[in-house]
Amino acid sequence: MSKQTSKKEKLGNFTAVDAPEYEAVLQCMRCGFCLPTCPTFMLTGRERSSPRGRVALARAVAEGRLEFTAAVKDEAFFCLDCRACTTSCPSGVRAGEVMEICRSQAQQQTPQGHMGKSIRDFILRRMLPDPALLEKSMLPARLYQRLGIQWLVRHSKALKLGPAWMEKAEGMMPKLDAPLRPQLPELTPAHGEKRGKVGFFLGCIMTLMYPEVSRQTVRVLAHQGFDVITPKETKCCGAPHLNEGDRQTARELARFNLELFLAQDVDYIVTDCAGCGASLKEYEELLAADEDHQRLELFRSKVRDVQEFLFDKGLRTEELLPVKTSVTYHEPCHLCHAQNISNQPRALLKMIPGVELREMNEASWCCGSAATWGLKFSEESKQVLDRKLANVAATNVEHLITANPGCHLQLAWGLKQAGMKQDVLHLMELLGRATPEN
Amino acid sequence: MIDKNILETLVLKLGREAVVSEPEDLLVLGYDSTPGLHHTPDVVIYPTSSEQVQIAMQIARDNKLPITPRGSGTGLSGGSIPIKGGMVICLNKMNQILEIDEENLTATCQAGVVTLDLFNAVAAKGLFYPPDPGSQKISTLGGNVMEDAGGLRGLKYGVTRDYVMALKCVLPDGSLLSTGGKSVKDVAGYAFKDLLVGSEGTLAIITEITVKLIPPPQDKRTFLAYFDDIRIAGTAVSKIIAAKIIPSTMEIMDKATINCVEDYVKIGLPRQMAALLLIEVDGHPAMVAEEATEVERILNDVGAAEVHVAKDAAEAASLAAARRTALSALARVSPTTLLEDATVPRSMLAETFTLIERLTQKYQLTVGTFGHAGDGNLHPTVLCDERNTDEMKRAHAFYDELYEQVLAWGGTVSGEHGIGIAKKDYLARQIGPGGVAVMKRIKQSFDPDGILNPGKIFIANGE
Ligand SMILES: Cc1cc2nc3c(=O)[nH]c(=O)nc-3n(C[C@H](O)[C@H](O)[C@H](O)COP(=O)(O)OP(=O)(O)OC[C@H]3O[C@@H](n4cnc5c(N)ncnc54)[C@H](O)[C@@H]3O)c2cc1C
Ligand code: SF4
Ligand code: SF4
Repeated sequence: MSKQTSKKEKLGNFTAVDAPEYEAVLQCMRCGFCLPTCPTFMLTGRERSSPRGRVALARAVAEGRLEFTAAVKDEAFFCLDCRACTTSCPSGVRAGEVMEICRSQAQQQTPQGHMGKSIRDFILRRMLPDPALLEKSMLPARLYQRLGIQWLVRHSKALKLGPAWMEKAEGMMPKLDAPLRPQLPELTPAHGEKRGKVGFFLGCIMTLMYPEVSRQTVRVLAHQGFDVITPKETKCCGAPHLNEGDRQTARELARFNLELFLAQDVDYIVTDCAGCGASLKEYEELLAADEDHQRLELFRSKVRDVQEFLFDKGLRTEELLPVKTSVTYHEPCHLCHAQNISNQPRALLKMIPGVELREMNEASWCCGSAATWGLKFSEESKQVLDRKLANVAATNVEHLITANPGCHLQLAWGLKQAGMKQDVLHLMELLGRATPEN
Repeated sequence: MIDKNILETLVLKLGREAVVSEPEDLLVLGYDSTPGLHHTPDVVIYPTSSEQVQIAMQIARDNKLPITPRGSGTGLSGGSIPIKGGMVICLNKMNQILEIDEENLTATCQAGVVTLDLFNAVAAKGLFYPPDPGSQKISTLGGNVMEDAGGLRGLKYGVTRDYVMALKCVLPDGSLLSTGGKSVKDVAGYAFKDLLVGSEGTLAIITEITVKLIPPPQDKRTFLAYFDDIRIAGTAVSKIIAAKIIPSTMEIMDKATINCVEDYVKIGLPRQMAALLLIEVDGHPAMVAEEATEVERILNDVGAAEVHVAKDAAEAASLAAARRTALSALARVSPTTLLEDATVPRSMLAETFTLIERLTQKYQLTVGTFGHAGDGNLHPTVLCDERNTDEMKRAHAFYDELYEQVLAWGGTVSGEHGIGIAKKDYLARQIGPGGVAVMKRIKQSFDPDGILNPGKIFIANGE
């Protein structure tokens, strides 16, 4: 596990701040078990775009045998951070995480032009940390595009590629309802016999793009016997910042959310966004250098993905209404690889009366979304997605179930483009359909 | 740094796609899975056909560039590390299965096909390709042939050599050589094919391989036997063989290995046990039933602490998969995992465990041992830190003493991983100067300029 510290010695050609731990890269014994699980290696067949290769590059930088070159930076951003390599590595190496940290190195070591920096800073430092501003001043659609623009500005040669990504970003936008955050009550009381009190961590993309999903999540939680507290002040979990290499802002957000949720009198902190869940669970490492260890541990011990939570607590099925349908389940990387949650969603699906679960091949193969990766590398993303869609098609089910907004966007777009019949549902939406109105 | 003219010629003749020379690409093609070894090549070629391999070889020959063939780099003796620099020819984009011939029971594929992909493709047609190295998900058939890779099923079904029927290869002068064929019987002249298998990329580059297939066993049964003393496990192996039963698999793991594997797979392996044996018997259902009963009886007789039968095929598969991760999982414990490939006659297994235990104490090391117990092929693995020079010295002394005894028992310094760079010194001890001299003469006749995979297998002058 690579703990992050903000004060430490310089390691080879990494800067002192936010460098990967040397031990974390030494651990790789180069067996190659990760190779066939890595989407970018499967795309290019190039060793340097594999987990083993990426770790070797990081190690060479750490040992001063290689500068932090443009190619190292490219590999850091070409990595999907899907963490399939983490799941497949018997030695416990976390290549995705090492690359995530290298992105922060990229921001430090290869400063960008003024324009790029100011747009990026505006999005990452002003907009995302301020939910009200997000809702008010930005159409969420613009958010996605701005992130794309920011990237284009940084890599100006990509402009030559034409605005395909923009078309895609536009095409991906679901029909937007009003943001959920202002609508959700601070307290949604438990239904029936009470089983506990949870804090609900509402994600940015959820409130903006999939308000219906989180509305159902809260309703389901309440119906399952939990008081649901939704703090209005919740800020972005920090995942986009980590993804873009802005670890500083990520830490500030993490500290804020940590304070906010520890101050609530709740037994658990639950989220329905796999990306947020993964990020919250990693606060412990992100803040290890500057926060009280016990508080970090306490926070970490409370965080649950909603699927994980409901499975652990035992789903109350007595009142569930049958939903006659067939489904297949796409595993979000941030659920199965980053949080090791794989059986629980399937178990829940099987508990919903009337639902037939048909497994697809390679259910845990990435869908190619990966935050803004799918926009930056739209051609590659399409190839990763096509493999997924072929596996979905083979199941011939009615609904494709997933549990993360990034996957949701990408899959819904892909299915529509391919003219396939399935629609995408978050698992909580399906469970919502089986849950009677009070 | 490669000469600009050579680079241009390569790009011109092979196409831009096939030639890679960015420093970052070179850096990551200078290792395989052998710890501590690394050397950056000057240029890397990704051919997609035999013709491209020929062209690359000719250009290298004309310019006296050393050439190192490479599959997936899972080798454990440094075979694909370009210690003299020059050109690495990476075969893993030659990954087409060309033919599955159901009448002759053969499959022909390009050298870069991943072992498991071939297995799955023939299984889909109801056929069986038995060799299954622990690295089968990643390793290439070319690499398997060149190392004569063994596997978990080696005990009953043999190793890669036993399945190679024909090879198509490119010699160091750029000419093509085809050897062997689909005929089951073939005694026409020298058996080049047999010479090439296990030659570790020093005689030719293999581009196409035809392998023999067999019908799959109809039934099988998988056991896990736990022991509170690893020597009892060794005795169990000898007793089972002595009872004239040849299981398809008899794999061993010691306590350290059990614990590291369990840390990764989390399937409930018993952490407190000193050793476990994974045993599989397969074949005709009636025979399987009979052998299974007998194996179980022997295990109980010798004093296994517990015998567990896999409840279904899925459990059996997950146990085999867990065993395959043993080496990589041991790497959790320490930064460096030094693995060896000591192989003894099966009757000496229990003594070998005693020896390993004694040497572990003597040199104060942490050692995890696992391997193909049924073949007498063990992988004692020293868990250490390459930055600690004293510890590394002790590790080498450990292996020195171990091999001395293994050779005295009539064993071998490599059961399946090859000599490569790592064990040149030991090879000389095993086969003597006469043996090395003949090998060098063979090498000379295939590769007079010494450009193909130089620095491997033999100690050259001045090393
Ligand atoms: C976790 C793990 C488990 C393993 N388990 C086993 C096991 O159970 N049994 C076993 O035998 N080995 C095992 N190995 C070792 C290794 O996987 C085998 O030696 C394998 O056959 C190497 O294949 P490769 O494609 O990776 O070849 P590489 O490592 O790339 O190359 C191996 C050698 O073959 C040469 N070579 C490769 N392709 C060609 C070609 N087309 N033409 C000419 N020369 C070529 C190279 O120059 C080199 O000398 C294991 C390794 C690991 C990391
Ligand atoms: S990252 Fe893990 S799986 Fe990949 S080569 Fe290294 S040790 Fe093996
Ligand atoms: S995180 Fe995903 S894309 Fe990145 S190296 Fe690992 S498997 Fe490959």
